[in-house]
Amino acid sequence: MVDPPTAKRLVQVIHDNLPAPVGERRPVHTIGIGVNGRFVASEVARSYCIAEHFDGEPVDVSIRFSNGLGGLEQHDGWSDVRGMAVRFHLKNGTGSDLIATTLGEFFVRNVDDFFKFSDTAKREPFRRRHWLLKILDFLQLKIPQRNPYPGETQAIDAGALRYANQHRFSQLGIFQVGLIGAPASYARASYHAVHTFWVTAPDGVRRPVRFYWQPVAGVRNIKPTPEPCEKYLFDELKKRLKRWPARFMLMMTIGEEGDTLDDCTKPWPGTRLRIAMGTLTLTEIPEGEDQATAGERISFNPCRLAPGIEPSNDPILKARLGAYEVSREMRGGCPFKWRADNA
Amino acid sequence: MPDNEGLMDRFVDRLPETAFFKFVAARILTPLWAWWTPVKPLPGGPHPSFQHGDNVQCMMNLIMPLKDKSPVGRAHAAMAISQHKDAIFAGLNNVGTVHFARFVIVGDNICMFSVYDGDFTNYIRDFIATIGEVFDAVVGLVEGGEKVIPCDKNVEAFIQWVHERDLYQVPDTPTDFLRDQERLNGDKAVAPVNDDLTLLPRKMVLQLRANANVSLGSGYRAYPGYSVAQVRKQLGLGW
Amino acid sequence: MFDLSDLQGNVLRGYKDKPYVRYLILEIADRVVARRWLAAAISGRDHDVPQITSGDWGKAKPRTCFNIGLTYEGLRALGTPGSSLAMFPNEFIEGITARALKLGDVGASAPDTWPSPFNEPKRIHLIATIYAENVAQLDQVQQRALDRNALTLLGMREGNNFDGDFVHFGYRDNIMQPRFEGIHDPERHADGQPLAPLGTVLLGHPTNLEGLQWRVPQPTQLGHNGTFNAFRVLKQDVVGFENYLDQAASDLLTHPKVDEVLPPGGELKVCEVFEIEPPSRHAALREVVAAYLCGRWRDGTPLALSADMPDANVDRAKFDYDESSRCPYGAHIRRCNPRGGHIVQRVANNSRRLVRRGVPYGPAYKRDKSGDAGKTEPERGLLGNFIGASLGAQFEAMSCDWLNLGLQDPRITGSNDPITGTNDPATSWFDLPLKSGGTIRLRGLPEFVSTRGGAYTFLPSLSAIRYLGSLTA
Repeated sequence: MVDPPTAKRLVQVIHDNLPAPVGERRPVHTIGIGVNGRFVASEVARSYCIAEHFDGEPVDVSIRFSNGLGGLEQHDGWSDVRGMAVRFHLKNGTGSDLIATTLGEFFVRNVDDFFKFSDTAKREPFRRRHWLLKILDFLQLKIPQRNPYPGETQAIDAGALRYANQHRFSQLGIFQVGLIGAPASYARASYHAVHTFWVTAPDGVRRPVRFYWQPVAGVRNIKPTPEPCEKYLFDELKKRLKRWPARFMLMMTIGEEGDTLDDCTKPWPGTRLRIAMGTLTLTEIPEGEDQATAGERISFNPCRLAPGIEPSNDPILKARLGAYEVSREMRGGCPFKWRADNA
Repeated sequence: MPDNEGLMDRFVDRLPETAFFKFVAARILTPLWAWWTPVKPLPGGPHPSFQHGDNVQCMMNLIMPLKDKSPVGRAHAAMAISQHKDAIFAGLNNVGTVHFARFVIVGDNICMFSVYDGDFTNYIRDFIATIGEVFDAVVGLVEGGEKVIPCDKNVEAFIQWVHERDLYQVPDTPTDFLRDQERLNGDKAVAPVNDDLTLLPRKMVLQLRANANVSLGSGYRAYPGYSVAQVRKQLGLGW
Repeated sequence: MFDLSDLQGNVLRGYKDKPYVRYLILEIADRVVARRWLAAAISGRDHDVPQITSGDWGKAKPRTCFNIGLTYEGLRALGTPGSSLAMFPNEFIEGITARALKLGDVGASAPDTWPSPFNEPKRIHLIATIYAENVAQLDQVQQRALDRNALTLLGMREGNNFDGDFVHFGYRDNIMQPRFEGIHDPERHADGQPLAPLGTVLLGHPTNLEGLQWRVPQPTQLGHNGTFNAFRVLKQDVVGFENYLDQAASDLLTHPKVDEVLPPGGELKVCEVFEIEPPSRHAALREVVAAYLCGRWRDGTPLALSADMPDANVDRAKFDYDESSRCPYGAHIRRCNPRGGHIVQRVANNSRRLVRRGVPYGPAYKRDKSGDAGKTEPERGLLGNFIGASLGAQFEAMSCDWLNLGLQDPRITGSNDPITGTNDPATSWFDLPLKSGGTIRLRGLPEFVSTRGGAYTFLPSLSAIRYLGSLTA
């Protein structure tokens, strides 16, 4: 946990780097949509974790899909990280949250790194690279800087690259962001909750784990074009859910001796035990005022966890506990019970 | 239309797709950069690790060019395998750590692909002990193989020879490939460094020039973390 | 019978009556002088230089023993021809620090954390070992060894055997060594294991893997009858080990199936054997846990023969493992040497055996229950030598597949050796087998043993030392 002033500073730094104030909206992942669903744990889930939503009884779930960019403009077709925040509703009225993005790892290890990254990766004027320089890049067998999207005059790309060139731990995350593309649907992307959590099994054994969602329909990106469609993801999801429910598998990887438990810049290899924990079915998209509640006023926190799941010592995860609350207060987001007695 | 896009911009953006540029990149730029910024071949086989998940279901990908590059030579290789089928299967059962093993002929190469548990040298050494004769028959048909047979009298040289022909396994994440290159050069820095991430494509091109055949990623596993014997025991097949 | 006079004595002998052992870690100061020193050390005449103890003592037992091992860098420094050097096995050429991942030397054991002189592995050329009856003798031999400025002393390590062959952690050690074909060995009696082929421990002889022979570096006099040694400085966390026994015993005490590992009333016998006053079930369970982790009760009784009670009357050496054995599959001694037991790599049974020579360092630990938690303990551990004709096929194969990975039995795969493994309490586990089938799983084992130094050395025959001493290039 970071102290309250640091939590405030973390959020402020993000606000300061926005193209325009967002008012009482989220400073990142500003544009999003709330969806209802159900989660059914697999038959083995309960043997790894005693948390209520893994006991096999179907659980109501609130999901918010979002674009990663901060700002009120919607650019669905831009290459961008997408978010999938999930709340499992527990019987006593509390919830257990799982916040994931399409990026498989984060690009800073701790709060200090984050402030330094924010110093380096500031919004800068972003212009098309001159064709002569591009030819020079090609001759060096380099990737030239991407072209700006129509209307895109500022970006943090150059600063992020500068940061990556100085910090090897950040290179994977920043490189992957560059390749991430735009999903054909929110229901056709994989989402990773990059941090390590500890889950407790019925026999008391605690295991370090990482969670991710995989779309049953498969991962699919749209073909990149110079002038991408600005708005399609919400409608696509509405249409999709009218035809049939969309599903995600919740996968859980178990860490072993020697794995990084508190560094979310380092993904675990595919050689670790992988457990299918259950299936999430997206059922409907609330309309009107219900959508405002489900998409906007709802507030998540990666450290809001059912008994049986605990956060690791990952400093970024710990910082998010406070920062998400600060951000929620700043935008007047709906507080959500941390405990059944709401104390 | 993006505001300031001109004719030359559009032309240059499409340049990499043109036959001309592809020719220049492959025939001129790649050799030039390989000469100017040389790259060492990366060693084959699984990445060294002490962690147990990394030490089960390891991959071996051997590509061995046949001496006789003709249908007759390929037929000899096919015969060498089929004649020894019993020996190979008995050996695999008794070495006890092999999930899958396949022989494949691809364009005048005999390839051996297998998934095994534990240390590579132990795996090959146990194999030499059980089916050394088969190795001799196959390796005798391969370029340079005569130096290391009979394998049971050249154990260390044979293991080294096989290791040198085992394909480099490109890591699953693009930047870990950079870490492999750095490690080979004794560079362990994390930060601050002065890298140029936009050079990744060139580094990959030059590495694939140094290691022409590679395994892409460490491969998918449906049930990672389990040894042959664990799977067989769980399924009631005996081990 | 094989002629032992060409071997260095420590290969096949334990020098049991010389409890004081000192290792001199040396760098060759001058190639020419060092060659002369080697020649003098086997001359049998020049007693200004300590004489290398051979495997044949003749009539008079020496009062002190002196043996040497050379690293790859050492052979190079002596001017061994490149064509000979290239015939040494890879693992020896690369050296022990390059093999850290195979050996589990990571984290607190990683070579880049090793203290001097092991932090500069390339400077380590020669490790000389002095065995004596007292420290004065050690000093005297050391002085003679260093007298001629052939060698620079980079550092030393010293230990001495405790009474009754006990080692840190309180186990009785020195019970077993392989017995070899063609070697007369009056000290040992049959242990039920097949005689090891001589190639297990000497280059140029048949090995346990049918038809396989290791490469003998040429010329023959250099490689033949030579062998390799993994010298390891292994720090032991004695307090951590005793604390873990406390914790595990407390957990077991309330386990519903505890009677299967310690029958009701059994604590009296266990406490009597180990002279524990007053006897208690908790104290006895500590001994039970210690026994299961090792595969032997701390008095040396093998669990394979007596799982319920330590028993001074059973043969400590002669036993085997079968499916009914109550020795845990993951117990330390069973991992190191599964004997004739069923293992996954069937062809490897008996093929990874080693000659072990170890001596404890640091003062013997006396458990003090008064609770002096804050006290800093002196470093304790084992100076270990693991000798075999192929480091790769024996020491490393045992370390990576059997000790670290547990590949030999699906019931232990994925767990580390409970005593020497690189364990992390968050994920470690160890199963105690029960008579009724089933197991009790212990968790939370920390790393009890960490590596603080080491080197791969070649133990040349006397002919080889003569050859090295006569090099001129």
